[in-house]
Amino acid sequence: MSDEKIVVKIDPDLETLIPGFLNNRNKDLATLRTALEEKNFPSLQSIGHSLKGVGGGYGFAGMSEIGAAIEKAAKGQALGELKDLIERYGKYLAAVEVVYE
Amino acid sequence: MNKPVESIRILVVDDDNDILLLLDKWLKQEGFEVITVTSAEEALKKLMLARINLVISDLIMQGMSGMQLLAEIHRENPLLPVIMLSGQATIPDAVQATHLGSAAFLTKPAAREDLIGHIKRALRIGSYQTAKGQFGKNIIYKSKAMSELLELAKQVADSDITVFITGATGTGKEVIARAIHDASARSQKSFVAINCGAIPEQLLESELFGHEKGAFTGANTRHEGLFQAAHGGTLFLDEIGDMPLSLQVKLLRVLQDLQVRPVGSTKTYPVDVRIISATHRDLDAAVENGEFREDLFYRLKVVPLAMPNLTERREDIPLLAAHFLRRYAGRNEKPVKHFAPAAMEYLMTAPWPGNIRQLNNVLDLCSTLCKTDTIPLSLVQKAMQDQPGGIQSLKDAKHRFERNYLLGVLRMTSGHVANAARMAGRNRTEFYKLLNQHAIDPAEFRRVKADESEA
Ligand SMILES: Nc1ncnc2c1ncn2[C@@H]1O[C@H](COP(=O)(O)OP(=O)(O)O)[C@@H](O)[C@H]1O
Repeated sequence: MSDEKIVVKIDPDLETLIPGFLNNRNKDLATLRTALEEKNFPSLQSIGHSLKGVGGGYGFAGMSEIGAAIEKAAKGQALGELKDLIERYGKYLAAVEVVYE
Repeated sequence: MNKPVESIRILVVDDDNDILLLLDKWLKQEGFEVITVTSAEEALKKLMLARINLVISDLIMQGMSGMQLLAEIHRENPLLPVIMLSGQATIPDAVQATHLGSAAFLTKPAAREDLIGHIKRALRIGSYQTAKGQFGKNIIYKSKAMSELLELAKQVADSDITVFITGATGTGKEVIARAIHDASARSQKSFVAINCGAIPEQLLESELFGHEKGAFTGANTRHEGLFQAAHGGTLFLDEIGDMPLSLQVKLLRVLQDLQVRPVGSTKTYPVDVRIISATHRDLDAAVENGEFREDLFYRLKVVPLAMPNLTERREDIPLLAAHFLRRYAGRNEKPVKHFAPAAMEYLMTAPWPGNIRQLNNVLDLCSTLCKTDTIPLSLVQKAMQDQPGGIQSLKDAKHRFERNYLLGVLRMTSGHVANAARMAGRNRTEFYKLLNQHAIDPAEFRRVKADESEA
């Protein structure tokens, strides 16, 4: 995977909400990692589910996609796949750059 | 911003705070008023307190689910549009939601335009149906007495005509007042209710008309009165029969001039308010006794509506019982309970001095105490006894009647025992014995009389 920035265009009206939003998503990342260690599939599924909804709502399509994939993998208890996805999600969060327009 | 949507209030229910923030932003940009809550339970509380025009709810939440919330909302108010937002709309969910009357079923992430479009459509349909005459949709009845009354209420609803509702406590006076407001052109504005009997005179005056800062000791800030708060809407004056005479004059003036002057103010403000008043008292008699102003009475009593007692419409009891039990079941997320046949018969024949309010209280108690699905007769009887307005024993009832009777004859005879005994058809010795049993002192009645003539 590359270290390229992922540019996400967001409605300027939402500018004040975004820092808090991204902060929460970083907390989700930590929770996902713990849940993975504990093989807590229900928790993984539920966070994936909410990422899918909330990510798309705010305009982070990539996040929504990863959330959906996590939800699905957690349902199938696919540990290896979950590990990859959570890593991918971490990279996504690190690389994401918001442009308000 | 476009005017018509300004006063529309949307309740958003989602356990994800980020979703709430986002929807709050979107909706406010459209000019809607927004209330957000994080659970269905909180949503139900808000729905009881605030006027809500539309609900947007998440499907899966901790505690009560969105689907249960939808069912609960529509039990109370079938026309309130509810839009379901779900992370994973399965077909059965969508079908069930539609079945339960959801206005739309959207999947998260929902596109902004999509959501706003659905909201506007749902609101149009909602108001269209109300206008079409779903009058008093949450009033439960099947009796002829109620259907005639509601027919009349419906006819006068969509005008500004002044309505006067009489009936015993708990018969649903406020429910009717609200239904009239909701069916009127004022429905988008406030319905403001005040109990004129529960508030001391000076406070009532400032509650109704407002006051200026410093108008009296303790008036540290300016206070807008309820007339102004109800501007454009409806003011419900409950227990109007208990309003002190001095305030009656002031109220009459406001109704004539359509202007209010807050206490301590030199300015008057125009008010456009529809008045619905109610009382459990016999105001004809109060007018006769000089306790209520005749001119005000006629101004209020343009369209009189007389609520029948629950005992005059016993056929409504099973319907009401079923309605309340469904409601508690929804509240507690328990299966709906029902009554054993003997218990229902008991409910149908009970005296219900507290009318529907008492019925509601008794059923609430029954449903809380009953651990099984069928509520037995014994529990109903117990719940009735625990009720202040419930059945009293024959001995208690006789005792109370006798006491009131004795007080009555003494009042009429100003404490003249010989005359009172004669009216009661007893000799003096017997009469004194009765007074003793009730610890009534006839001298009290003489003193009162003396005080009055001195004053
Ligand atoms: N026909 C009815 N259908 C359903 N609930 C009713 C009905 N009439 C009264 N209620 C309920 O009974 C209670 C008392 O009604 P309310 O209007 O406050 O009575 P009042 O103003 O006459 O004292 C309220 O909780 C109300 O919702």
